[in-house]
Amino acid sequence: MHSTVQLLDDHHPEAAALGFDDTAMQDWLEAASAQQIDDAPFGIVAMAPDGIVVAYNKAEAAAARLNPSRVVGQHFFRSVAPCTNNALIAGRFEAGGVLDATIDYVFTLRMLPTPVRLRLLRDPAARRMYLLVERRTAHGG
Amino acid sequence: MVDDADRVELEALTEFLYVVPVGLLTFAMNGAIRLANPLISQLLMPFVPGCDLTDAYSALAPLMPDLSRRVHEFADWLGVVVDHERCPISQGGKLTVFSVTVHRIHGGLNTAVIEDVTRSAEQERRLFEDRQRFRAIFDNVRDYAIYTADAGGRIDEWNPSLQRFGGWQEADVVGQSLSVFFPPESGSGPSMETLLDTARKTGSVETEGWGRRRDGSQAWTNTVLTVLPDADGQVRGFVGVSRDMTERKRTEDELRRLATTDPLTGAFNRRHGQDCLDAAFPRLGNSGRTPAVIMLDIDHFKSINDRFGHDTGDLALCAAVDTVTAELGDGGAVVRWGGEELLVIVQDTTPEAALELSERLRLAIAAARVAGPDGEVRMTVSIGVALDLGQGAEDAVRRADTALYEAKSGGRNRVVFGPARRVTDRKAG
Repeated sequence: MHSTVQLLDDHHPEAAALGFDDTAMQDWLEAASAQQIDDAPFGIVAMAPDGIVVAYNKAEAAAARLNPSRVVGQHFFRSVAPCTNNALIAGRFEAGGVLDATIDYVFTLRMLPTPVRLRLLRDPAARRMYLLVERRTAHGG
Repeated sequence: MVDDADRVELEALTEFLYVVPVGLLTFAMNGAIRLANPLISQLLMPFVPGCDLTDAYSALAPLMPDLSRRVHEFADWLGVVVDHERCPISQGGKLTVFSVTVHRIHGGLNTAVIEDVTRSAEQERRLFEDRQRFRAIFDNVRDYAIYTADAGGRIDEWNPSLQRFGGWQEADVVGQSLSVFFPPESGSGPSMETLLDTARKTGSVETEGWGRRRDGSQAWTNTVLTVLPDADGQVRGFVGVSRDMTERKRTEDELRRLATTDPLTGAFNRRHGQDCLDAAFPRLGNSGRTPAVIMLDIDHFKSINDRFGHDTGDLALCAAVDTVTAELGDGGAVVRWGGEELLVIVQDTTPEAALELSERLRLAIAAARVAGPDGEVRMTVSIGVALDLGQGAEDAVRRADTALYEAKSGGRNRVVFGPARRVTDRKAG
């Protein structure tokens, strides 16, 4: 598994430049190395199709102040981020089909309401689902 | 500077607040949210799209539009501003019910506890609807009384069906034993305690008997008592359904009377007499009882008809039946066996007692007076008696008939004991 990621890394050296709203995001994430995901300037949560976290990048860990080692292997909607366990977010992932939606939301990281933009990415053909998180300013962000 | 032990404790505290299954938030008087746990976000975001969770009043507006006013009108330093208030929200055809509690924890700070209680609200709604449904049934049934009692059989609630059923008012019945409807002195059927014991064992019991109305009059009542179990399956109480069957009972009794009696004299007809014989005489062996038949025939009945007319003949027949019925009391059944022939069936007797009774009947009929067109008419009877010899009713009737024939040929107005043994040969004066 790890060697495969290294191999993919070599093939896509330019990929880290992708922006939050880039239309090619799904393909890039599928191909990106663990390091590339970790280095992204916005939060990335990668989940297996059953919702178990398989990658939790540096930006998200810093914002949530959660150690990735405590998060990987947990069910994201139920155990890591219960604030997403509703029809707006978890419900959309669980509905199946192709999903690429961006919504404004509020996380309550360390009990402080934190406005965020979320990008929800799911493709039945992909091996992982992704939740991208970007801070926004409270008013007019 | 936060040391490692503090950091671990803080992480544990954070995790606890992350997973606690109710929404918690604190906010200042101006509505500014200080802290909110993830459940707040999960619960409220679907209803406040675009909300940034900075202001409690706008975040909670879909649930409680007047929260700001209520918080500001609450003047105390601390206390309960909103107490578990149910807030229903409809969205996309789906109803969600929140429970909202707001506390003032000190002068400037408020906490809110938000819970999704949709499921329990739905259960409560169903319970309420069930209750309304049962209430409608209790209150509107016409021919039934439906009532409930506690585990000890005390009526715990009044409803209008009891008023219609027996004129009962709330003060008459609530707290009273069910035997208020079925007083022990009515003497029909098993006691209420016995009935309740049966219901406790089997789940329900049905009984029919005389019940009491409020005015003291009696009503023939069919009652079904069913156990109400509690959550552990123990008897929590009973539900009773009673139906006033007085009219039906009256009709049934009348039909039975018409089917079993002779319309002229009121004595049992021969068909029912046959049933009485079958019931009185054991089919096999010795039952420990000795039944008997007494056959009576009015002497010279044709002559009464010829001399005084058929109406007087009918009156004589009726007088004979009335006399025998009065003498017998509960001691036997009177059957009009043939034209002017009566059969008395006695359940259990001795030769002496049967003979004594027959004599009494003979003398009483001889003493009876029948009003004829030209004054009083008198009559006598001949009587044949036979006790069971273990050969059944038919044999006894045949021997009584033989004895009667003997009484006739021996001069009438006498009693003869069958089969051949003449017991008395007295002529009346």
